[in-house]
Amino acid sequence: MHAAVVLRLVPDIADDLEISESGNDIDREWVGMKLNEFDDHALEEAVLLKERAGASVTAVALDGDGVDKLLQSAIARGADRVVKITYDELPPLPAAAAVAAILADAIQALGADVVLTGVQTPEDAGGQLAAALGARLGWPHLSAVAGVQPAPDGLIVRQEHSGGYATRVHAAGPVVLGVQSASQPPRYVSGSKLRQAIGVKPEKRAGGEAFAGPVAMVRRLAKPASGGGAAMWKGDADAVADQFVALLRERGLLKG
Amino acid sequence: MATILVYVETRGGAVQPIAFELLAAARSLAAPAGWTVEALVCAADPAAPAVEITAADCVLTMAHPALSPYLPEAHAAALQAVVDERQPDVVLFGYTTAGLDLAPATAGRTGRTLAAYCRTLALDGGALTASAQVYGGKLIAGIEAPLPAVACVMPGAFAEDAGRIAGSPERIVLPAPATLGALKTRVLEELFPEAGGVDLTQASRILCVGRGIGEAAKIAGAAEVAELLGAELAGSRPVIDAGWMPKARQVGKSGTKVRPKLYVAVGVSGAPEHLEGMAKSDLIVAINSDARAPIFGAAHFGAAIDLFDLLPALADRLRAG
Amino acid sequence: MPMPSPLAVLALIAVAVLVAGYRARVLIAAIARAPAAHRWDQPWQRLGFVAREVGLHRRLLQIRLSGSFHLMIFCGFVVLFSAIVADFGAGLFPGFSLHAIGGDTWIALLQDVFALVLLAAIGLAIWHRFVIRPARFAGSRTTDATLIYLFVIAIVLSMLTEAASGIAAGNVAGGWRPVSGALAAALTGAGLGADGAAALHAGATWVHMLAILGFLAYIPGSKHRHMFTAIPNIFFRPLTPRGVLPAPPEARGQVGISKIEQFTWKDVLDTASCTECGRCQAACPAFAAGQPLSPKKLIMDLRDRIMADAADSAGPLLGGTISEQTLWACITCGACMTVCPLHIEHVPKIVDMRRQLVEEARVGPGLQDAFANMQRTGNSMGKPARQRARWTKDVGFKVKDARKEPVDILWFVGDYASFDPRAQRITIAFAKLLHAAGVDFGILSDAEQNSGNDIRRAGEEGLFQTLARSNMDALSECTFQRIVTTDPHSLNALRQEYPALGGAHAPVLHHTDLLLELIEAGALKLKPGSGATVTYHDPCYLGRYNGGFGAPRALIERAGYRLHEMPRNRENSFCCGAGGGRIWGDDTGVTERPSENRIKEALALGDATLFVVACPKDMVMYTAAIEALDVRGKLAVRDIVDLLELAEA
Ligand SMILES: Cc1cc2nc3c(=O)[nH]c(=O)nc-3n(C[C@H](O)[C@H](O)[C@H](O)COP(=O)(O)OP(=O)(O)OC[C@H]3O[C@@H](n4cnc5c(N)ncnc54)[C@H](O)[C@@H]3O)c2cc1C
Ligand code: SF4
Ligand code: SF4
Repeated sequence: MHAAVVLRLVPDIADDLEISESGNDIDREWVGMKLNEFDDHALEEAVLLKERAGASVTAVALDGDGVDKLLQSAIARGADRVVKITYDELPPLPAAAAVAAILADAIQALGADVVLTGVQTPEDAGGQLAAALGARLGWPHLSAVAGVQPAPDGLIVRQEHSGGYATRVHAAGPVVLGVQSASQPPRYVSGSKLRQAIGVKPEKRAGGEAFAGPVAMVRRLAKPASGGGAAMWKGDADAVADQFVALLRERGLLKG
Repeated sequence: MATILVYVETRGGAVQPIAFELLAAARSLAAPAGWTVEALVCAADPAAPAVEITAADCVLTMAHPALSPYLPEAHAAALQAVVDERQPDVVLFGYTTAGLDLAPATAGRTGRTLAAYCRTLALDGGALTASAQVYGGKLIAGIEAPLPAVACVMPGAFAEDAGRIAGSPERIVLPAPATLGALKTRVLEELFPEAGGVDLTQASRILCVGRGIGEAAKIAGAAEVAELLGAELAGSRPVIDAGWMPKARQVGKSGTKVRPKLYVAVGVSGAPEHLEGMAKSDLIVAINSDARAPIFGAAHFGAAIDLFDLLPALADRLRAG
Repeated sequence: MPMPSPLAVLALIAVAVLVAGYRARVLIAAIARAPAAHRWDQPWQRLGFVAREVGLHRRLLQIRLSGSFHLMIFCGFVVLFSAIVADFGAGLFPGFSLHAIGGDTWIALLQDVFALVLLAAIGLAIWHRFVIRPARFAGSRTTDATLIYLFVIAIVLSMLTEAASGIAAGNVAGGWRPVSGALAAALTGAGLGADGAAALHAGATWVHMLAILGFLAYIPGSKHRHMFTAIPNIFFRPLTPRGVLPAPPEARGQVGISKIEQFTWKDVLDTASCTECGRCQAACPAFAAGQPLSPKKLIMDLRDRIMADAADSAGPLLGGTISEQTLWACITCGACMTVCPLHIEHVPKIVDMRRQLVEEARVGPGLQDAFANMQRTGNSMGKPARQRARWTKDVGFKVKDARKEPVDILWFVGDYASFDPRAQRITIAFAKLLHAAGVDFGILSDAEQNSGNDIRRAGEEGLFQTLARSNMDALSECTFQRIVTTDPHSLNALRQEYPALGGAHAPVLHHTDLLLELIEAGALKLKPGSGATVTYHDPCYLGRYNGGFGAPRALIERAGYRLHEMPRNRENSFCCGAGGGRIWGDDTGVTERPSENRIKEALALGDATLFVVACPKDMVMYTAAIEALDVRGKLAVRDIVDLLELAEA
């Protein structure tokens, strides 16, 4: 088994996000970037596959600032090989199809037969990568994956739905997994292991041809109306309770 | 004529509530443009759930054993066949596991553009425009998706009432594509939530009680509201320390870190150690008699009010449904 | 019965030495094959210290009663050594005696007197162990202690009998032996004839020798080993400053310790020296909190593992002999090391084992979060680095960025002081005081990262190195004269750890030092305080690790408050429970939080209304403790900075 894990650096949303001058992106100059939380789980699950079933693990990322360090940390975590994919250009908050087009050839060329990545990112308004990659590769895919077990003739994948409902799905051939949580929390990699991995230079590979079809574009970004802090409900207990219930109804959070 | 296709999610033979919100969304898009709304129910036995759908112009059903329980590969294949054949201008999914699977898959396999996390939708010339929630809700993206397009809509963005209105849609049975006979994945078993043991990290709604509750005997009132909300009951450290709840229910730095869809904090001051455990929740509502309590800095909604006044009032309304 | 013949004595000695040697073989072998530790530097200083420490019984006497009887027993043994020399000398070389140097005069007198002293001390010890039963003995081996008492009693009684019967038989001069003389008189009075006395003399001599040799043979398997190991152990104690945690030795080839053989010979000697006195356990806040950590037990368990021959010591060291919970429970407060009479080094052993757990990713979720946050953002809270200097917006003047312009004082702010709202208040107040005093100061802003002090103690050596290098690089880019910090943990790292890594040696002050200096120089004029009674908590990393006891107390006085000390103060301060990475752990299993234990101590003073601290973490820990105990009306936490109110200009 050869598992490719797609890792993405995303803005730390705990940070203050400013909108760029162009108005359709955040100001990336200052914002702190971190490994997408779900990708972290995808990497853990891949390393678990390596430990449980002897899979070889290749971590893949689109080239960019901080990617070497990201991939080195993947080595420290247990990836066998790290590859960064070069590409020409992508618009801000790019369409999943466009990203998938860049990655798919490389993944195929690596000979991977299972692809893991995070189920979503804070900025994938253009769609989630796992399903888009599945479509591009012509492989089945599963999102919201919460645990993967090696089976003699493939993988057994747990897919989670709302309300605690889940299914166990058997995948016989190549498959793309959008991981929500790994079978166990991502392990800690000590500073000394990270320091050792600093020497590793990720391989470079050219990505696929740019996506030809039409794609959705983010035209502008805006801050939501209410700023920091809670919107305060006024009035007595009855008035507050009414507004509370109305909010729950609006957000689809009422029980049932 | 231009059409909007709504993917109807079912589970155990019943339509999921999100489908009605999507129907409402589709109708609000279709009405001004004079488009038609089609709903698609794919299941082993789609007839029963399809009956629930009345707010569409046309209800399409496709039956095949591989379609129930839900399997992404099967539903993606079904959708590809339907979309290729009927060529809808807009396809709507809800932001659920199925939506995460099928929106990008359908867009990718049928060459459509895609807008995710949509809270509003509109048609603007040759494009679908949407405002989408990004960066954990910190920013709103204005997206332009040239038609034909796929959109994945946030739950709660459209009121489901408009998706439940009565009507007598045309009903069409579609043949299952041959691809459904050659799937590489199959569902082994379905897992249903277990009652019992608490695992706050898994809870989608949490009601957390702070020291403001005052004494053990008062917890019952909060527990009732939690029950009515379908929420797990949790406590701040002092509440756990006092032995009013077991340690497994402690939220915070030295307890459990949670990220539910709804977090209601009553009588919690919002110390940094508490915030550390819950500030990432999707929606936070805080009730505290002190308007300056730091919890309001982390909450999305709040009220400076006595919790003993609010809880009964809230219980009444929730009970009434 | 005849007197022992030289051959018999020789044979007995040989047997005893062989048995003792056999019993000590595992220890000797363990020391011989253990990795190196470099402890031969500054031998004269070491010797001088041993002489003082052993002679004055400084640490032992901190507990009056047991210290006193230990001193009595110690002196008794030294004196009785002369009797041993005399007996065995005579046994081996007939005719040998100490007569020439006073063996029948003053030495005899001393032997007689100290025999009584010893008996009295053993009596006290027995009463202490079996009647008073201090909690610190819980877990110590009682049989071992009892056997030792019996040996000592046998040795002393046989010695007295030997002397008394000698006197009665006319072989021994009785003039300088009041006790044995009286005993001899009693024996004669009871009808003991000269022959009987001679036989008794021979018999007692046998018993005396056998008891001594038996004791000798027994010692290697007993806590009484410390008779032999204490002096070397104190001699080889670390001379590095207390605040420097030893780095992993290159030769080990791995960051932490996962196998018992990886402990150095000094570690082995440590474990072999422990007397199971339990002083460390009594001082340990983790133990008091009901955590599964007793520093005494830890040392005993390591010792037992070393002593059990390698073959039958199955099971892992980590998670087997020493449980993971035990290792994570330690707050690295250093109280154990401060009280241990044998100068045993507990904390470095704990940290070495933690290092291995970290390497193997065996860390709890809280700690893991903190580590991961620090890797990513340089602070344990995971706050964006750029927000580190955000507090400067609220000070009302511009705080200099030391990276951009030279400053006199570089302020290393620290994580809690930068980010935690409760601690930020102090940060801002201190900034205002500096400003008022006209101090030219600046900060590193977002180039500052966590100092790594606690990260290192939590066992994350690699991350510590990364953080330390990054801070040292940032500091080396700036021009300044001195460094100040309000955070004792940063203080320790900057003052002690960084120089050991090759960092620059700029003086590092705690804010209390600097404030006192400013007040004394007249740069800060204070409004007289309320005169209220306050108490003061010594933060571990300011007090015990860095000797900062004076400045905070002087400031409290200068500010016009009356200081009422808690019983556990200065060196004996009781940790708040946040150190060594514990602040990031969860507190499952804690029966009483150290911080709450401490607040109760302050409340028990009766008259203190303010609980004064000098560490941002203390502010957080004690504020929460007061909330937890719900005693907000009775006691309030204040940083020393809060007490200093500026006089109107
Ligand atoms: C290392 C460490 C770890 C910690 N870990 C945790 C942790 O995991 N979880 C945690 O919660 N805390 C933790 N704490 C403790 C934390 O600092 C606070 O002390 C604690 O969160 C306070 O709990 P609280 O908000 O319930 O109580 P309080 O701070 O006492 O707040 C009670 C609130 O109730 C309000 N109130 C009172 N009466 C009413 C009423 N009738 N109606 C409405 N509101 C009312 C008050 O205005 C007040 O704001 C930790 C502290 C430390 C130092
Ligand atoms: S350092 Fe403190 S907490 Fe750790 S063992 Fe020693 S006394 Fe106990
Ligand atoms: S380690 Fe030191 S203080 Fe602790 S029991 Fe042993 S000798 Fe006593």
